[in-house]
Amino acid sequence: MTDISMHLTTDEIELWAQGLLPAARAMHLAECSLCRTEAERERKVMLELVQLPKFAPSAGFADRVMAQVKVPTPSGDWTP
Amino acid sequence: MFSLLYRMVRDRALAEDLAQETFIKVLNGIKSYRPEFKFSSWIFKIANNAAIDHLRRKSIDTLSLDGAPSAETPEQVRATSLQLGDRAESPLDEVESRELGSAIERAIARLRPEYRSCILLRHVEGYSYEEIADTLDLPLGTVKTYIHRARNELRGYLEDRRD
Repeated sequence: MTDISMHLTTDEIELWAQGLLPAARAMHLAECSLCRTEAERERKVMLELVQLPKFAPSAGFADRVMAQVKVPTPSGDWTP
Repeated sequence: MFSLLYRMVRDRALAEDLAQETFIKVLNGIKSYRPEFKFSSWIFKIANNAAIDHLRRKSIDTLSLDGAPSAETPEQVRATSLQLGDRAESPLDEVESRELGSAIERAIARLRPEYRSCILLRHVEGYSYEEIADTLDLPLGTVKTYIHRARNELRGYLEDRRD
């Protein structure tokens, strides 16, 4: 069992950022300004990371890939 | 997967080449796929290996804004530094500057490649620590250490920028 006075670990801060921190540890966070400051700093970075855009390759990418992939034909041969 | 590659090598054309190489390896080697392994993890493993191999081949194991870690003199630091501001020469360069020019993207570029893979898989792709360990063939403790260190470094870079 974790001592309520113990500061949050990095794993616990990540759980808190995901809304998954157990209530007992959340109580410590509510009372500890050191942990709150640390948790807020971590959350800011995590938030920036999860908001990063996804990128896609240029048009025609799938065709270029498939042109180089060997596909089995009904006769058992491979193309191309 | 393309996003991971792009952020690893910070070059659109090269990221497409590596993505193409990855998909061809996946599709041509589909018989070697082990079903107990998550299919997307298998693809990410091949993609990440391609990116890391490329970075090692090119001896730019950190496409660093501050120069290669092996640089010992100011001249070596300058010679190996990534000059984002000087790159807007072609339309593709402009796209890259726009896509990867934000403070957080520039901070990610400063991370070691191993840290970069882990942090991107965790917070951009949403993988669990265990999935990252499986995907990158790393012990779970190492993955946690890399991610914690990466977040610390990112915080440092971003807070320096705000100061």
